[in-house]
Amino acid sequence: MALEDYKADMERCSQCSYCKWIPLDHVKSWRFAKGCPSIGYSNFLSYSARGRYAVALSLINGQSTYTEKVKDIVYKCTTCGLCDVSDKICRYNLEPLEMIHELKFKLVEDGQLLPQNTAVIENLRSQDNMMMETKDGRGDWAEGLDVKRIADEKAEVLFFAGCRFSYDKELRETARTAVTLLKDAGVDIGVMGKDETCCGGRAYDMGYKAEFLKCAENTAGVWKAAGIKTIVTSCADCYHAFSRLYPPLGENFEVLHTVQYLDRLIKEGKIKFTRTLPLRVTYHDPCHLGRRGEPYVPWEGKEKKVKGQIVVYEPRKPRYNGAWGVYDPPRDVLRSIPGLELVEMERIREYAWCCGAGGGAREAFPKFSNWTANERIEEAESTGAEVLVSACGWCERNLADAIKNAGNGMKIYDVVDLVKQAI
Amino acid sequence: MTLSKEVYRLFEDIVGTDNITDDPAVLDSYRYPLSHTAIHMGPYYRVYTPRGAAVLLPGSTEEVQAIVRLCNKHRIRFKPSSTFWSAWGYPLEDDTIQLDMRRMDKILEIDDKNNYAVVEPHVIGATLQAEAMKVGLNTHMHGPGSSCSCLASATALGGLGPDTLYMGHHNENMLGTEWVMPDGEILRVGTAGSGLGWFCADGPGPSLKGLVRGMTGTNGSMGVFTKVALKLYPWPGPATLPAVGSPPAYKTELPDNIRVYTLGFPSWKAWADSCYLVWDSGIGYIAHRQFSMFGRDLKGAMVRILSDPSKTLSDIEELLEDLEVQKLNKDMERDYQIVLAGMTPRDIEWQDRVLDKILEETGGWKVAGMMEPDLYNWSLLYMIRLGHKNLNLVYGGGYDGCFGLGGTPDYGTSDEPPRVEQATAFKVEWEKKGNIVASGGDAMMGGIGGMGGGGMTIWENFTHFDPHNKESTEGTLEFFNAVSKFGVEKGWGPGMEKMNEYARWSDGKTTPKDVRDKIFLGSAQPEAFRYQRKIREVFNPNDLGDAYYRTLDDPE
Repeated sequence: MALEDYKADMERCSQCSYCKWIPLDHVKSWRFAKGCPSIGYSNFLSYSARGRYAVALSLINGQSTYTEKVKDIVYKCTTCGLCDVSDKICRYNLEPLEMIHELKFKLVEDGQLLPQNTAVIENLRSQDNMMMETKDGRGDWAEGLDVKRIADEKAEVLFFAGCRFSYDKELRETARTAVTLLKDAGVDIGVMGKDETCCGGRAYDMGYKAEFLKCAENTAGVWKAAGIKTIVTSCADCYHAFSRLYPPLGENFEVLHTVQYLDRLIKEGKIKFTRTLPLRVTYHDPCHLGRRGEPYVPWEGKEKKVKGQIVVYEPRKPRYNGAWGVYDPPRDVLRSIPGLELVEMERIREYAWCCGAGGGAREAFPKFSNWTANERIEEAESTGAEVLVSACGWCERNLADAIKNAGNGMKIYDVVDLVKQAI
Repeated sequence: MTLSKEVYRLFEDIVGTDNITDDPAVLDSYRYPLSHTAIHMGPYYRVYTPRGAAVLLPGSTEEVQAIVRLCNKHRIRFKPSSTFWSAWGYPLEDDTIQLDMRRMDKILEIDDKNNYAVVEPHVIGATLQAEAMKVGLNTHMHGPGSSCSCLASATALGGLGPDTLYMGHHNENMLGTEWVMPDGEILRVGTAGSGLGWFCADGPGPSLKGLVRGMTGTNGSMGVFTKVALKLYPWPGPATLPAVGSPPAYKTELPDNIRVYTLGFPSWKAWADSCYLVWDSGIGYIAHRQFSMFGRDLKGAMVRILSDPSKTLSDIEELLEDLEVQKLNKDMERDYQIVLAGMTPRDIEWQDRVLDKILEETGGWKVAGMMEPDLYNWSLLYMIRLGHKNLNLVYGGGYDGCFGLGGTPDYGTSDEPPRVEQATAFKVEWEKKGNIVASGGDAMMGGIGGMGGGGMTIWENFTHFDPHNKESTEGTLEFFNAVSKFGVEKGWGPGMEKMNEYARWSDGKTTPKDVRDKIFLGSAQPEAFRYQRKIREVFNPNDLGDAYYRTLDDPE
């Protein structure tokens, strides 16, 4: 689809402003009612899905042209997808997140770039990672780890570390722990080490579709050559890329997030806890595992009208409204840990507040990204929890940096870390 | 850029660089298509409200005052809006300064002893309700739903909604108010003006409620309201409204002292009689003909779709074949929803017995299909939070209302056949042309207690269309023109479909003066508009508002 193909959406947008808020039924307080970080930070209507529809329409109608402000509006979006959930409370025929992606693609195609993102993408092109690191160090995270290397021997399941867990020295231990837990529970698991390359998901969210396609082609090609059928990852961004962005390209693998695998192993009795963790924790739903982590359903069809002017689709179109994301497995894992108390924030599951790391925001707009993370930390603190838990390296890094910047005492862990502590 | 650099810089000095822009793309996101929600003067295909000169985000009353003073100095029109629902909050003229009140979004106080809250412009119904419920209170939820500004509803618009029966219009709920007048002076209306707190709009202190807002409000055309105190009402439910389930089919389970029913009636006479009996008996917390907005033929299918997350609009045709859905439609043909809220166990039992008695006397019934747990809990949450209010746009993205205004229940039910059936039959014929959704003619929605304590019902016949489709949009306009003609011929008068033609015209700008004069001269009391002209001359000497403030400028 091209941006112009969303003109019907642009003209059918109800201007209701639901896109700015969490679903209104779930509003529990004034403080934590906002849903969209972008307009929450920048305030002009243009920074909401409703506003971006209007900006896109203005651009394609030739009523306005590219300016620095337009670039700011388009790129200062974490593509968290909250607007998509809230819009679909009342609408069955709008796809605001798809349109926002197309708007970013269009700006990239037209050379309307941000230097910060350009630098990251240049590095992706040459070094196959989103971390501004060299490809030589990709496999260092698994150094000394007693696990199969896919290049050397076959394994039933591939653990995909992703760029963040591969290069972030403070988070590497989480990836190593995940592999060890799965292996110790009897999973025939292997890693790609230095041969792993970026999934491309973050490039997609930044607007670099061509780079995403290249990453997908590389990654899926290597997997197919190695005979891999099942992939497990601790990174929510990778999970989303593999489970939602790869299948439309014809690349179908069984994809699991670590929390899903751990949940299964705990329920099967293959992981048993021996320690009590007397912790009060709260769980942050990563956007890419939650509302954007719904299973892909193939569809090819067209719009038609019934009863005169009711817009429907033939055949029946799958509806991504955030309901079917991965929400319960991480919570079930946490609740199964002896002594641990899980308390919920106000904005959870399909209407969780974003960590601020996505869509290129962390790279291009650090203040905005940090503000978004701070909002989440304040919400976590309001629960009385001492630990903020998540299941995504990007979320954990952004939230940890914000905690550090604020001199805050909140601790942050991955679900995997707590499972390890309780064994 | 229509502001000179020098003037732009002066505005920038007031709000700061980050809170002002004249970028064309941003300005276009502050325009409103005249083919959408509740325009009541179209729809007009691909016509937009005029592009502003700049958008400003003031952060305080002082900043608003400075902006207004600068506008007066340079004779620049300004238009404030809080949540930008419908076209009222958008300029009528080019080169208007638009004030987006989003940064002024605080609930300043909730006084749970005296039952009021003081709020800034961008506080929405959902957040105020959530905070009020924590202290056992509730706020009136204005008709556009809980995403809209409470202050705008109270100071600038009519402000009615489904719970008006118990909680009044927001114009009734408006207490002390802070007003940056059109000339830039700050006036605190009511007790707020005499330093006695916020508890009353009429003093001791400047008693100007009637002047600053009147019955329908001035639609952002007379200065800027920066704070308002709103009356709150008892809430006998939990401190947090629990919402469960998968989107969009959120539901709530509440204690048994809060109940929702869809009532059905054998005739329109019985329907009207029940309204009078509800009012006379004093029962009810919320009463509204709500789900009828989907249309007589479609509402059964729609409530099934909306309360089941696995369903979509693509299921509608199959559902219409379902015998249970057909029975639901039949049972709900002449219906409304009512929420009872008992302050004590005895109270709820008494209210329910009274309701049963009313149904016995009128031959009505509690619609059994809507008592199924999923539909019951979904409709309960819907009615209390109004968090799905924009479902009126669900079919194709466009809707507007026609036919009825407010009146007694007899407004729609008198004559033979009843007016509602005449209007239904008229719309059904137009639905056959294919430009509007064929919903069964009667998609009339509106309050059962359209004023505090009862006494008025609203009959707005929702008409759904596709604003992306030229034939659909223009066909809808053609239908609305025919509705007006039909209403005049019948002696009912034009309906809501032309309600705003006095202010905005088909090009999105101010209605030509001769047309406005004709409208006001033809009204029951033209003197009121001459009087308003004098008010404008005193309070808004540079005339920097717009034609939403109704004035008659002819010689007396």
